[in-house]
Amino acid sequence: MDNLDDLKVIWHTAKTDSLPSSNEMLRLIRKFRNQKLRSKWLSIITSLMISMLITTVLFIIHFKFVSTYIGGILMVVSGLLLAATNIRSLKRFYKLEDCSNLEFMAFIEQTRKNQILYYNKTMIWIVIICSIGWVLYLYEITYQNPMECFAVYSVIFIYLAVMWFIVRPRSFKRDAEKLNSMQQRLEKILRQLK
Amino acid sequence: MCIVSNAAQTKTTSISPRNMTTFEEIYNFYAPQIFRVCLGYTNDSNQAKDLVQETFISVWKNLPSFRNQSHIGTWIFRIATNHCLRAIEVAKRMPFAELPFNLADTFEEPLEDKLNFLYKCIAELDETDRIIISLELEGLPQAEIALVVGLNSGNIRVKVHRIKEKLAKKFKVYGQLR
Repeated sequence: MDNLDDLKVIWHTAKTDSLPSSNEMLRLIRKFRNQKLRSKWLSIITSLMISMLITTVLFIIHFKFVSTYIGGILMVVSGLLLAATNIRSLKRFYKLEDCSNLEFMAFIEQTRKNQILYYNKTMIWIVIICSIGWVLYLYEITYQNPMECFAVYSVIFIYLAVMWFIVRPRSFKRDAEKLNSMQQRLEKILRQLK
Repeated sequence: MCIVSNAAQTKTTSISPRNMTTFEEIYNFYAPQIFRVCLGYTNDSNQAKDLVQETFISVWKNLPSFRNQSHIGTWIFRIATNHCLRAIEVAKRMPFAELPFNLADTFEEPLEDKLNFLYKCIAELDETDRIIISLELEGLPQAEIALVVGLNSGNIRVKVHRIKEKLAKKFKVYGQLR
């Protein structure tokens, strides 16, 4: 095409002098480099620390009831499950250093599927295991004082009910909208690449 | 073998993609190119700058483990174009330009207006077409564009041809090109 050179000339007239210098860019990089995956790292570190803390407590304190140990173990398991899910997700992100647009879109699609699986299965199991763990773990501590027992379990059940019936559906709805719009966009881009 | 490091080193050689060893050299060489490609995709200078920043954050993080499996330029363009495709929020805010119907009088307009017109024409294309034509206009060989996008060279050749025809038609209709 005769006009391509003209287009190239026009294209290269774009002014790039407003770009930050390499030193400014390095300063920006140092500031923002870990921001994107920070929440994942935070949930991994927090869940691992809580799991270690509970394990230490179970080893140091001698409880009378088996239910306390079972409860503690269930809480540790839920913490480890949460950490493992996030580590798996992080590993996928770190592997993604050199891939084509087509491979990248496949990665995004897999991430979307993983997110749906997390909301529909993994998250439910983690919450159920952790809730059962809490209920069993606190029984030995509160059973001698009925009022205390009632108060503690009421708070736990209210908290769980709020999380389960209000917070989770809302966040699920919000994220589902995001995921649906991502799916539509992905399908459109993948069609273009065929 | 790791061929590059992002530790600051003294420049001792002339700059070309083959002998760049520091992040600064790589940034100074590729940032303008990446900016133009991102600008072609977003048609918005601020969003393009954000994408350049995200691209070079990824480059900085992965530079020590970059193993020269592909040319460093291809690698950086892959990162940049993936960031473009990923940016859903960019897509939402992106001004999808509708061309005005009567632009016949704009023949004598300065180069800057022609550049804006080119961006508007590119903004009307599909996402992947925007990436392909931006890389083509940037001067990347079609084999390298194929590696960035993930299609074969034949496909890219056909796509480039079609996109160029579309752009040329728009430019000709509106009297922007000879």
